[in-house]
Amino acid sequence: MQAEPSQLEPSSPIPSAVEPKTLSLPPLVSSILRSLFTLLIALWMGALVMWVSGKDPLQAYQALLTTSLGSRTAVANSLLAATPILFTAMAAAVAFRAGIFNVGAEGSLYLGGFAAAWVGFTFTDLPAWLIIPLSFLAAGLVGGLWCYFPAVLRSRLQVDELVTTILLNYVAILFTEYLVNGPFLVPGVANAMSPQIAPAARLPRLLPPSQLNASFLLALAAALAMIYLMTRSKLGYEIRMVGDNPQFARWSGIQVAGVIEKVMVIGGILGGLAGAGQVMGVHYRFIAGFSSGLAFTGMTVALLVRNSPVGALLAALLFGMLRSGSATMEIMTDVPRDLIRVLEATIIFFAAIEFGSLVWRRRRER
Amino acid sequence: MSYLLMQSITKTFPGVIANDEVDLSVERGSIHALLGENGAGKSTLMRILYGMYIPDHGRILLNEQEIRIPNPRAAIRLGIGMVHQEFQLVPSLTVAENIALGYEPRRNGLVDRKTQRLQIEEILARFGFSLPLDKPIAELPVGIQQQVEIIKLLFRKAELLILDEPTSVLTPQEVESLFKVLQTLREQGKTIIYITHKLREVKILCETATILRRGKVVGRVKVADASEKELANLMVGEQVIDQVFPRSQGVGQERLTLKEVSALDDRGVPALKNVSFSLRAGEIVGIAGVQGSGQSELVEAISGLRPVKGEIWLNGRRITRASPRRRREIGLAVIPEKRKEQGLNLSTHILENVVSTRYYKPPFSGWLTLFTRPAERFAARVIAEYNVAAPGVKSMVKNLSGGNQQKVIAGREMIDQPEVLIAAYPTRGLDVGAAQFVREAMVKRRDQGGAILLISADLDELFAVSDRLLILYEGRIVAEKRPDETAFEEVGLYMTGHLHAG
Ligand SMILES: Nc1ncnc2c1ncn2[C@@H]1O[C@H](COP(=O)(O)OP(=O)(O)OP(=O)(O)O)[C@@H](O)[C@H]1O
Ligand SMILES: [Mg+2]
Repeated sequence: MQAEPSQLEPSSPIPSAVEPKTLSLPPLVSSILRSLFTLLIALWMGALVMWVSGKDPLQAYQALLTTSLGSRTAVANSLLAATPILFTAMAAAVAFRAGIFNVGAEGSLYLGGFAAAWVGFTFTDLPAWLIIPLSFLAAGLVGGLWCYFPAVLRSRLQVDELVTTILLNYVAILFTEYLVNGPFLVPGVANAMSPQIAPAARLPRLLPPSQLNASFLLALAAALAMIYLMTRSKLGYEIRMVGDNPQFARWSGIQVAGVIEKVMVIGGILGGLAGAGQVMGVHYRFIAGFSSGLAFTGMTVALLVRNSPVGALLAALLFGMLRSGSATMEIMTDVPRDLIRVLEATIIFFAAIEFGSLVWRRRRER
Repeated sequence: MSYLLMQSITKTFPGVIANDEVDLSVERGSIHALLGENGAGKSTLMRILYGMYIPDHGRILLNEQEIRIPNPRAAIRLGIGMVHQEFQLVPSLTVAENIALGYEPRRNGLVDRKTQRLQIEEILARFGFSLPLDKPIAELPVGIQQQVEIIKLLFRKAELLILDEPTSVLTPQEVESLFKVLQTLREQGKTIIYITHKLREVKILCETATILRRGKVVGRVKVADASEKELANLMVGEQVIDQVFPRSQGVGQERLTLKEVSALDDRGVPALKNVSFSLRAGEIVGIAGVQGSGQSELVEAISGLRPVKGEIWLNGRRITRASPRRRREIGLAVIPEKRKEQGLNLSTHILENVVSTRYYKPPFSGWLTLFTRPAERFAARVIAEYNVAAPGVKSMVKNLSGGNQQKVIAGREMIDQPEVLIAAYPTRGLDVGAAQFVREAMVKRRDQGGAILLISADLDELFAVSDRLLILYEGRIVAEKRPDETAFEEVGLYMTGHLHAG
C-alpha cells in the first residue's frame, strides 16, 4: 500500500489541510465516544482472553460488577482503590496536556510516602490536627522537589524528561528501600518496613470495615482543583497553549520553561500526596515497593480519556472499581486478577496508536 | 467547450456558505486567475477540484466528461494537481525523492531508482528546469522548493495545475523565475489556475479571471480588457485603493535601538553581523532584503527569542537579555513571520488566540482565574475592527481562510496601539482591501507617535509606507535610503550585493 504523500509529513505541527471526511461531531462528544469505544474494545479483549483460556467471561464480568459495586463495602473498596489513581491520573493528564511525559510521579510517590511516614513515626507527640497536615505537607514538598530536578533539566537544558524521570524512579525506589533496610530498620521486623506512624497520624476511616479513608477526600479535592486549573486558570491556559504549539506560546511571551517546570512539579506534588495517602490511610507505615506502578496506571487513565481532566476523574474511579473488583473476582471465579492487566494493556495499546503518534511527532519537532 | 467546467458548485460549512452556486470555466493551455477577497471561497473551490472537499452539490466536467473527485488521489489520476501554500515536502529527503514520493516507478515490487531518475531528468529537460536533484529539501530556498512542488505535479502527469497564492512567500526575484516556469508550462499546453491577491501578477500572467465575493461569482473577465483598478473594484467593491501614503510628519525620541547586534542562525552560522540602527517615534522603517538575509533572526533577536551579542534598547531600557514577555510589557508588539507556526495556535479558537499576549493581566484575569467575558469582548472587537470573516469568537482558527488568519494576528498585535511594532510580512495573504487597511493602520499608528519596523518582501509595500529603508544583505545593513530618493532598481542592486554603501 502506498501512503498518500501529502499526508506523510506535514511541514508544521499542524496536520495538512486535508481533512478526513468523517461525520463531524462536537469535539467533546466525539472524544467521549472514542474513550468509551476504547474501553469496550478492552473489555472485549479481556473476554476473548478468558474465553480462550476456558473461563466464562460473562460470569466473570458479572462477578467483577458485584464485587466492585454490589454493596456499601464493595463501593467503599472501589473508592479506596481509586484513591491513589486519582492523584496519579491527574498528574499525568496535566503533564500530557503540556506535551510532557512526566513519569516521575512514581518516584515522588515513594519519597513522599516515606516523608509522610517519617513525620508520622518521628513526631509522635503531635496532635492529629497538626501531624496529619504536616505529613501531607512534607510529602507534597518532597514529591514536588523530586520532580523539580528533571523539570529544570528539561526546561533549561532540553534533557528528555521521559528518560530522566524513568531513571530517577529507580533511584527513588532503591533509596527508600535502603532507608527502611538501613537507617530506619525496625529491629525484629522481618522485611523492609519503617516503624509504624503515630496513631494520631492515621487517617480516619470513612466507611468501616472498608479501609477507605480521608485521603480519598483529599484525592477528590485535588482532582477538582486540577479540573479548575486546567479549564479556568491562567496556568491552565498556558499549559494548553504550550501543549498545542510551544512556538506560538513562546512568541506570545508565555514562559514555556516555567510552565513546564510548574507542570512537572505539580505532578510530583500529586505523586507525593498519593504516597502519603497510602501510608497514612492504609499501611500506617512505609513499606518498600508498595506502589507497583501506580503512576503508570495514572498515565493509562490519562491516555484513555485523552487528558481531559473531567474524564480523568471519572476514569480513575472506574479503574479503582476494576482493581478492587478483580481481587475479589479472583477468589470467586478463578479468573486471575491479572485480567485487569489485560484490560489496561489493551487501553494503552489503542490510546497509544492515535495519541502516541501525535505526541511522538511533536517531540521530534522541538 | 472549455477544458474544465465547474457548474453550480455549492459548499457549506457550519455557519458559512463558502461556495454558493459557483461556475468556473477554464480553457486548455491558459492561465486562469481566481480572485476575491479573504474568505471569498477561492481555496475551498480549489480544494473541491482537488478532491479534498466534497461539494454539497454541483457538477465538474473535464474534457466534456463529468467527473467525480472523491479524494486527492483521484484528482491526480485525472491529471489535476495542486501546490498548497504550505509545501508538502519532506525536508530530510532529496529533491528527487520528494518528486517521486508515493509514485515511484517500481520493478519487481522495488523502487526502480534508475527509471525514476531518467523520468525526472526527462521532465526537467522538457520544461527547461534545473534542480539539484540530490540535495535535501531542507537546504534549499523557498523558491526552489516551490519548483520542486511543481515538478512533483508534472511527474504525476498533471495537466491542470492549481497554485494557491504561490507568490506570497517568494522574493521578487523568485517571482520572476516562477513566472517563467508558468509561461513555459502554458506553452507546453498545461492549464493553470492561479490564485492571488496581487493584480500586477494577474495582468502579467493570466488571460482570463473569475472573481468571487462571499462565495458567489461576481465577475468573469478577459484580463486584457480590464484595468487593475477595475479588477480591484470587482474584488472588494467600490473601495478606494490608494497606494500612496503621506510620509512621516516628524520623528520623536528613539524607541528601539540596536547597537552592534550579532546573532547566529539555527545552524550556528552568523546571520546578523554588527547590525546597528534606531527606530524613532513617528516613523516607519522598512527592512528590504532577499529572503534569508537575516530578517528572521532580526525579528527573533528583537522579540527575545534569539540570543545576541551587542545591545538592544527599548524605550530607554536595555533589553538585550529580557524575556519576550518583559519586552512586550515595555511596549513591544510583534507580528511574527510564520503565521501558522509562530503566530497562531491552530488547535483552538479565535478567542484563545487573541488573548495570548495579554491574558495574564486585568481585565482578562485575576491572580489565578481567567475571565471569559473580557476575553470574549476583546475577541469580538478584533473580529469587528479587523473584519475577520468568522462565525464567532469561538470559531476554530484552522477553519479560517488564510487571509483571515493573518487578520487575527494583525488585530491581536495592533489593536492596542503598541509603541513599537515589529511587523514581519504583515500583509502576506491579505486581499487588496485588507492589506490597505493594515497599511493604513500602520501609518495611522505612526502619525500618533508609534514606531514601526516593517519587514516585507514586497518592494511596492516598502516604498509605499516606509519613511526610511534599511537594506539587509547577508546579515549586514548595507544601505539606508529614503524611498522618495531611490528607486526599485537601486534597492534591488543593494539587496543582491551588487552595490555597497560608501
Ligand atoms: N474546514 C472548514 N471549516 C469551516 N469553515 C471553513 C473551512 N474551510 C473554509 N471555511 C470557511 O469558508 C470560507 C471560505 O474560505 P476559503 O479558505 O475558501 O477563502 P479564500 O478565498 O481562500 O480566502 P483567503 O484569500 O483568505 O485565502 C471562509 O469563511 C472560511 O472561514
Ligand atoms: Mg485561501
